[in-house]
Amino acid sequence: MTVRSAILLLVLGLPAVLLLLFGPRNTYEVPSDRTVIRYWEKWSGLEGLAMQRVVDRFNETVGAEEGIWVQYCAISNVDQRTLVATAGGDPPDVAGLFDHVVPQFADQGALLELDDLVEEFGIDGQAFKPNWWRIGVYNDRLYALPSTPYTIALYYNRRLFRQAGLDPDRPPQTIAELDECSRRLTVRDEEGRIVQAGFMPAPALLGWWHWVWPHFFYANLWDGERFGLDTPEGLACARWLAERRAEIGFQEALAFEGTAGAIEGSQNPFIGERIAMVFQGPWVANWVRTYNPSMDYGVAAFPSVRADRRPAFLSSDVFVIPRGSRHPREAMVFLRFVLRQDVMEGLCREHCKVSPFRQPGPDFFDGHPNPYIRVFDELALAKETFGHPAMPTFKQASTEMLFWLENVLQGVRGPEEAVRNTQQKIDAIVNDYNRKAERRRASAR
Amino acid sequence: MTVRLPNWIRGLIWTAPWWLGFLIFLAVPMGMSFYISLCDYPLLQPPVYIGMDNYREMTVDPIFHKVLSNTLIYAACAIPLGTVLAVLLAVLLNQPVRGQALFRTCIFVPTIVPIVATAVIWLWMLNPQFGLINQGLGRVGIEGPTWLASPNWAMTSLVLVSLWAVGSPVVIYLAGLQDIPEALYEAARLDGAGVFRQFRHVTLPGLSPVILFNVVIGIIATWQVFAVPYVMMKGSPGPDRSTYFYTMYLFDNAFRYLNMGYASAMAWVQMLIILALTGLVFLVGRRAVYYRGL
Repeated sequence: MTVRSAILLLVLGLPAVLLLLFGPRNTYEVPSDRTVIRYWEKWSGLEGLAMQRVVDRFNETVGAEEGIWVQYCAISNVDQRTLVATAGGDPPDVAGLFDHVVPQFADQGALLELDDLVEEFGIDGQAFKPNWWRIGVYNDRLYALPSTPYTIALYYNRRLFRQAGLDPDRPPQTIAELDECSRRLTVRDEEGRIVQAGFMPAPALLGWWHWVWPHFFYANLWDGERFGLDTPEGLACARWLAERRAEIGFQEALAFEGTAGAIEGSQNPFIGERIAMVFQGPWVANWVRTYNPSMDYGVAAFPSVRADRRPAFLSSDVFVIPRGSRHPREAMVFLRFVLRQDVMEGLCREHCKVSPFRQPGPDFFDGHPNPYIRVFDELALAKETFGHPAMPTFKQASTEMLFWLENVLQGVRGPEEAVRNTQQKIDAIVNDYNRKAERRRASAR
Repeated sequence: MTVRLPNWIRGLIWTAPWWLGFLIFLAVPMGMSFYISLCDYPLLQPPVYIGMDNYREMTVDPIFHKVLSNTLIYAACAIPLGTVLAVLLAVLLNQPVRGQALFRTCIFVPTIVPIVATAVIWLWMLNPQFGLINQGLGRVGIEGPTWLASPNWAMTSLVLVSLWAVGSPVVIYLAGLQDIPEALYEAARLDGAGVFRQFRHVTLPGLSPVILFNVVIGIIATWQVFAVPYVMMKGSPGPDRSTYFYTMYLFDNAFRYLNMGYASAMAWVQMLIILALTGLVFLVGRRAVYYRGL
């Protein structure tokens, strides 16, 4: 070995040896006398840290008494990974999923039914607001428990309202008022490019729930058997979207949408004060506090056709126990702890969300990081509410609804044609699913 | 006591790392995937045999037709453009000029940037208002399109991005250029051939086996395109499904819609298409490719 190669070996090898000897280690070791519960969750960052604190508290208290250790694992694409792990026979013991996947997972038999377990472990469903508890029910069976719930509302920029000569204490209540406000809030540069928008329902501009808009025209998208976009309400919504867009200008609107960047930071068009109104959840308050603390904004129920009838959209993260979990009973011990009112409300506060309980704790609202949390909480009690369509084919239907919206917003199809096409596609998806389900049932017989 | 094993068993033992790996990780999964392609298999329930139904469904599935045509268009644009650009760059980089190594490095560096990072960079380059490309076009009085947001331009944008990774074939072409004897160029010059005729009659025939190789690799890569459009379109199939490619639809069927049977059938059809196209290229190559010394 030459001197040169010896030096090279030392330079490359020494750091590796040092890393092995003194490098980072697991931050904790699982006590040998505990049953390990694998808990997969979608949250990372601040939300993940908040959940990790709950897990740590469990491991130090109830977990220590009951001989259980929960291992928290933040996973991207948690629904797909949970599904594949369940199909492979090695699922986590608890998974934190989105509510809209519950019907699909439950219909495929991927989730454990929780009715009996909930009763056995003394989790009182009556303590929760019915809307949140119902989110985990599919075909009259309970498959998921509410985690951190949220309603979605209209955020509006009070400073921009004042600047446009609008009353910041009177946000729009009807679709017509929303359009009028939007017109007055839209600002263009000398070349006609939009530099500030009022409201745009595009996913890029924080309208993440691209299928919701027909609900504000009183459409009921899913009646348990059929997806109903081709109703007068659905058509009215499509016409509204198309007309508003044509008024703004298809190309100009698309170019403006392209300016939206990362949601956390000044590239966020609402936080950057480039769009005055967005349809968003309570977590936006966290972003505002972090990235634009001096921003003057308000929150209200989203406008609808009539001011006296405004449906509210609600959704929730959920806990499930996948089929094939090795320790379902221990998982229930953990879930019972997390669903304790003090624990769950602490988590909801840290996530900036509402409480799922009928009677929020006395100190839940005081000092809540979202100054408009009561608005979000009241929306959960609105006379008319809706959630994700509880259909096992929601992912396909949602994709088709995205095309519907994009086609209308980009002027690729007229509203009537877009509605007709989308309805046909979703009908075909639902019929195909039912046909296959029937075939499977017949095969099982 | 010494046991003397027959030669063929010893051979099998010594080659076991390969054939065991081949059996476990390739042959068995492929066999299973073929069986699954004949089944209705939603992952969480046992597969139900349905014969050729999945293959028949492809013939009437409009989304399948759309992704097939999208992928075909993408391949038909990206492969020829990439090939022409790579050959031209390789010829330029082969010129004995000062800073040759630096130029070569500059062309190759983009290929070592991770795919996701490349996608994010291009996302910003193609931003309709702030993007470098539209800013540049604006300077010369052209109003740039909305690129990824436009059904007419989204595919063009992705073809443009595919050219970013032209550095890998350029390196292979450069190696191929070193293999062309200088004597051929000298003879061509003596016969009065200029730069372009030398390129047409010496360089291109000399490079033709390498071009064939790169085209075949290009066919395989373009028919499997997934990561860049998936990241750039944020998992969406693009306006009017204009950037929805074969592998993306296959992935969605397998892991989002739980149609593993249909996804497996798609995978087999994909393999057959790639095989057929590769065969076609080799067929054409018989006449067009010049193998020196054969």
